Amino acid sequence: MLEAIAARPDLAEDLVLKVENLSTHFVFKNRTAKAVRDVSFSLRKGQTLAIVGESGSGKSVTSLTMMGLLGHPGKVAGGRALYRRSNGEIVDLTKASHRMMRTIRGKEIAMIFQEPMTSLNPLFTVGDQIGEMLRLHEPVSKDEARARAKAMLELVEIPDAGRRLDDYPHHMSGGMRQRVMIAMSMICNPQLLIADEPTTALDVTIQAQILDLMRRLQRDMGMSILFITHNMGVVAEIADEVAVMYAGEVVEQAPVNDLFDRSLHPYTKGLLASIPNTGRDFDANGVRQRLSSIDGVVPSLFAMPEGCSFAPRCKFAEPKCTGPAVLRTVAEGHLTRCWKSEMLA
Amino acid sequence: MSAPYISVRNLTKTFHTPAGDVHAVNNVSFDIARGSVVGLVGESGSGKTTLGRTMLRLIEPTGGEVLVDGQDVLKLPHAAMKAMRKKMQIIFQDPFSSLNPRMRVDAIIGEALSTHKIGKRKERRDIVAGLLEEVGLQADHMSRYPHEFSGGQRQRIGIARALAVEPEFIVADESVSALDVSVQAQILNLMQDLREKRNLTILFIAHDLSVVEYLCDEVVVLYLGRIAETGIARPVYEQPAHPYTRALLSAAPTPDPRAVRNREILVGDIPSPLSPPSGCVFRTRCVYAQDRCAQEIPELAPVSAAQQIACLRAGEI
Repeated sequence: MLEAIAARPDLAEDLVLKVENLSTHFVFKNRTAKAVRDVSFSLRKGQTLAIVGESGSGKSVTSLTMMGLLGHPGKVAGGRALYRRSNGEIVDLTKASHRMMRTIRGKEIAMIFQEPMTSLNPLFTVGDQIGEMLRLHEPVSKDEARARAKAMLELVEIPDAGRRLDDYPHHMSGGMRQRVMIAMSMICNPQLLIADEPTTALDVTIQAQILDLMRRLQRDMGMSILFITHNMGVVAEIADEVAVMYAGEVVEQAPVNDLFDRSLHPYTKGLLASIPNTGRDFDANGVRQRLSSIDGVVPSLFAMPEGCSFAPRCKFAEPKCTGPAVLRTVAEGHLTRCWKSEMLA
Repeated sequence: MSAPYISVRNLTKTFHTPAGDVHAVNNVSFDIARGSVVGLVGESGSGKTTLGRTMLRLIEPTGGEVLVDGQDVLKLPHAAMKAMRKKMQIIFQDPFSSLNPRMRVDAIIGEALSTHKIGKRKERRDIVAGLLEEVGLQADHMSRYPHEFSGGQRQRIGIARALAVEPEFIVADESVSALDVSVQAQILNLMQDLREKRNLTILFIAHDLSVVEYLCDEVVVLYLGRIAETGIARPVYEQPAHPYTRALLSAAPTPDPRAVRNREILVGDIPSPLSPPSGCVFRTRCVYAQDRCAQEIPELAPVSAAQQIACLRAGEI
C-alpha cells in the first residue's frame, strides 16, 4: 500500500493508465531476451490507445506485464504502470500484490484475446462462463448470474440470447465466440479493456461488426480501451491515440490523425507505405508500381543493435544512429525515437 | 480473343459427411487468360481453398471440367496427370507447417526435381542454388533447415519449391496472409517479378482485398461455393455491382482515420454450407432480398463489359 500512496501525485486527473519506462526481460540460463524496453505511454479516460507493431515487437508482452500475467522466466526489469482504480486509489500494477491484482483483473481491467476458441473453456456452456466471471467478483446467486449473463448476451447483440446461454463454445462461429468474450469481459463493468488482436482471426465482414460493437459499448459505458493490433486499417478506425512499437520499444506516439498525416519515424513511414493502396500503387496509365517494403528482418531479442534498433533496416541510417535513441517530443503529443525525424518530413 | 489458358466449367465438389452433404463448390465456371493473375476472394467457408485444390486435382471434384490448354485435367489417366502436375503447382499459406522441419532446404526443393526426373543429381544442386537466388535467398542457404529462417524467408522457400518444376500455372493459397505487412510487401514484389519473368498464370486466393487489388488483373468473388461477382479487378473495386461485393469491400478497414465510413455492415454470419439458403445463397444477409430471391437461383450475367454478377435484381439495385 505504501508505494500506492507514494505514487499518487504522478497520475494526471484525466488519465486512467500511465506506463513509465517499463522493461520486461525473459531471463534464461546464459542469455536474456529484452522483450520490452523502456516503454512509456498513457491512456486517457474514455479513449482508445492503439499499440501497433509487427510480430515480436513486444506489444502483447507489454499488456501481459501490466496485468501481472508474465509467466516464468519473464520478469519486470524496470519502470512502472500507474493505474487509477475505480475508488480513486492509484496503484503501480507492476508492484501490486497478487491479492490486489486478483480484485483488479477481470473486474476493473478486463482482457480479450485474439483466438476466442482457446480463451473459452470447451467443457462449460457460455452462460456458465459469463456468469462465473460475475460470481468471482460479486456476491450474486446463480440465478442472478444467469440473468445478468443473458442481459450481456443481448447487449453484444447475440440473437435468441436466452437459448444461447446453454450453448457450448463449439456451437458458435468465430464472430459469435468473440461476442461471448466481450460479454464476459464487460459483465463486471470494467473501466479499462485490454483487447489483444481481438479481430485478427475474423473475416473482414465480422471484424466490421465487432469493431462497431466495441465502439458502441465504449460510448455507452465510458470505458477506456487499450487496443493491440498489427493492422493499420483497424488502428485508423478505432484509435484516438497510437503508439507504434518496434523491437520492444515505442518508436513513435501520436494522436491518430497526426500519425497518418505526418508520421515522423522511418519505421512508421515504412509500415504505412507497405500497405497496398490503389491511389499510390498504380500510375496514371494504370500500370502497377512496385510496393514499397522494408528490407531485412526484425533483430533478434538476444542481440539488439547498438543505439537505434531500426537503424540496420533504415534507408536513412547514418553512423550517428548507433548513439542513444531517445523518445522525444517533436510537436504537441507527437513523440519520435528518431533524431532525424524533422529532416525526413 | 484467343481461347483462355484455363477454363473451369460447372465445377462442383460435394463432401458427404455424417451430418449431410456439404456443397463446398457449386457449379462454378470462370476462365483465366495465359499470363494473368486472377484473385479469388470470399469469407472463410466460402469454398476458396476447395476450389483451388479441386482445380489442381488435389481434391477429386464431384463434377465439371477444368480445361488447361483445352485438355480436361479431370479426365487424365494417372501417367498423363503426373506430367500435367509439372505444369501446375501450389504455394501454401502457412510457411511453418508447409515445410518439413526434418528436411534441409536442398532436399525440400530437390524433391520436386527428383520426382519429375529433372536434371542429373549433380545438376540439381545448381538448379536449387539458382532457384534460391531467384527468390531472393542465397545459394548457401540450401544446407539449412526450415527453423533457421524467418516467416518471409520460409515463404520464399515455398515459392522456390513450386518453381522448381518450371510450372505454367500456380495456385497461391493465402500465400501472404500469415506475414507481417512489411514482409508481405517483399513477397508481393517477388511474385510480381516472377510472374513477369516466367509468364506465370496465377490463381491468387486471399481474404485481404487490398492485396488482391494490387496483384490481380481479374477477381472472382465467392460466397457459399458460388460465384457472386467476377470481372476485371479495377471496375469491380471501383463499382462493385453485387450486394455481397459491396458489403465485403466496405467492411475492409482503410488506413485513413478521416475516411468517411458509410459502411454497409452485414448482419450475422455466413450460413452453414450443410443447409444453404434456397434460391440465392446470399439472400439471408442481403438488404435488397425479395420473396423471389428465395425461389430462383440467380445465374451469372453481365452487368457491364467488364463485370458479371449473379443477382436476380441486377438491373434494379
